[in-house]
Amino acid sequence: MAFDSYTLRNQFPILQQTAYDYPLAYLDNAATTQKPLLVLDAIQDYYRSFNANVHRGAHFLSDRATNHFEQARERVANFINAPENSHVIWSKGTTEAINMVAYGLEHLLEKDDEILITSLEHHANLVPWQQLAFRTGARLRVLPLTSNGEWEPEYQKYFTDRTRIFAATQVSNAIGVRTPLQTMINEAKQYNAFTLVDGAQAVAHYPVDVQAIDCDFYVFSGHKMYGPTGIGVLYGKSQALDVLLPYQTGGEMVRHVAYQATEFNILPYRLEAGTPHIDGAIGLAAACEFLAQQDRVALLDWEQKLANHVYTRLRKEGGIEIYSPEHETTLVSLSVPNIHTIDLNAYLDSKGVAVRAGSHCAHPLMAQLGVSGTLRASFACYNTLEEADQFCDVLLEAIEILADE
Amino acid sequence: MNDFPSPHTVKQQLQACRSKEETFKALVALSKRLPRLSDEEKTDENQVKGCESAVWLIVEGSAEQRYFKADSDAKLMRGVLVAIISLITGKTQQAIQEMDLKTELAELNLSSYLTSSRTNGVLSILARLQA
Repeated sequence: MAFDSYTLRNQFPILQQTAYDYPLAYLDNAATTQKPLLVLDAIQDYYRSFNANVHRGAHFLSDRATNHFEQARERVANFINAPENSHVIWSKGTTEAINMVAYGLEHLLEKDDEILITSLEHHANLVPWQQLAFRTGARLRVLPLTSNGEWEPEYQKYFTDRTRIFAATQVSNAIGVRTPLQTMINEAKQYNAFTLVDGAQAVAHYPVDVQAIDCDFYVFSGHKMYGPTGIGVLYGKSQALDVLLPYQTGGEMVRHVAYQATEFNILPYRLEAGTPHIDGAIGLAAACEFLAQQDRVALLDWEQKLANHVYTRLRKEGGIEIYSPEHETTLVSLSVPNIHTIDLNAYLDSKGVAVRAGSHCAHPLMAQLGVSGTLRASFACYNTLEEADQFCDVLLEAIEILADE
Repeated sequence: MNDFPSPHTVKQQLQACRSKEETFKALVALSKRLPRLSDEEKTDENQVKGCESAVWLIVEGSAEQRYFKADSDAKLMRGVLVAIISLITGKTQQAIQEMDLKTELAELNLSSYLTSSRTNGVLSILARLQA
């Protein structure tokens, strides 16, 4: 076998434990992934060997810290094929990156302009646009996508001359379906709308090339791709980043300050006020390195195989509604009629299986599916076939225990 | 609510649990002792906010002797409601207010249901019962 998740697992110390005396099956990877030694060591090495503030004091440690910090930016730029390092802006995560754009573009929006999103969005790619619409008098419109990630036939009417911003996810966090991203971006560009892609659920699984997608902004979080929490990325084309007003102001982002006025620094610093999350950036770069060391095709193939294995086993059982697609997904999202997903979740937890139950921060999508929530098992490269089976076995036990006699 | 288990029975059943799995099964068994509410009783006003599952709570009786009706769309929560109500049913309002319900539930192996995380609203239920 070309790819061996059992060997890869050894690089993840946290997975070498049991939960309530059962093998720990961590299948909540769409919420956050575990971290390999490469990432853990990079963060520790920073604090043990070269912790100092960046871009400031000209001294031994500060120079080393600044070098590593800017190399991290370069590593991340390469990871998404950004043309310039300065197009990579650090953020706390996907949510902050979207807010940076929503606030940064506010000065360009007028009453009756339109902001278009899709019906598969996480609240993070919905609420900031809705609030921007409230502040500016713009209209939030929702492009309906089916739960298979397909267009509604009359999709074109949603793109108009008033469409100023189009924001869409690449992969649905709740049901794992991929959106027709390229077609949508191409359509939006015909109307000169700013385009933003939420890559939070994509980066760990699919190689990303922001130049090929040709979007204005691409955002993602470090912690969903084997990196640390609290660090994420706002990638932008230079002309798109140039028009963003800084969402935060303060130190680091300035060139000259007087009481009367302030001259802002150049990109990327103009959009990075304050001391940055240095160890986060270094950890995220290590996560990019970790992924670059892997055979990405084999990794994705394995993750999809695990999801498909669960899909196929559970489909045979009957009485289980599955909302994720059969193929080309790395997660399985399901519900069982008349059994609450949090009851299923509690039983799975009691036998060592970590999954997620609930609305997955996508209330409108749950309404579209006609459920209050789903149970989601999401896979990463270190998961095994035994864990996929453990999930299925324990889920079926749970259904038997919880079914009304 | 004649069929309601006594606090002694609830204690016996839950304290005998040696694992999370056993507690789960005991709560499922207890959930069957909770009379369900009618749709008319499941009003917005009776709903306890802050729970991932829907929970309804109706306070009855007088300050001298309180009774409770409750329901949830989640079975484990119905089990937890049975445990809570068994501890307080028939008591005076003041006695209920003076109880340390959090500690009593922890002694029943239910501590993992008492976290203030978004998956659980037991604390909001206790707040309403002791209001």
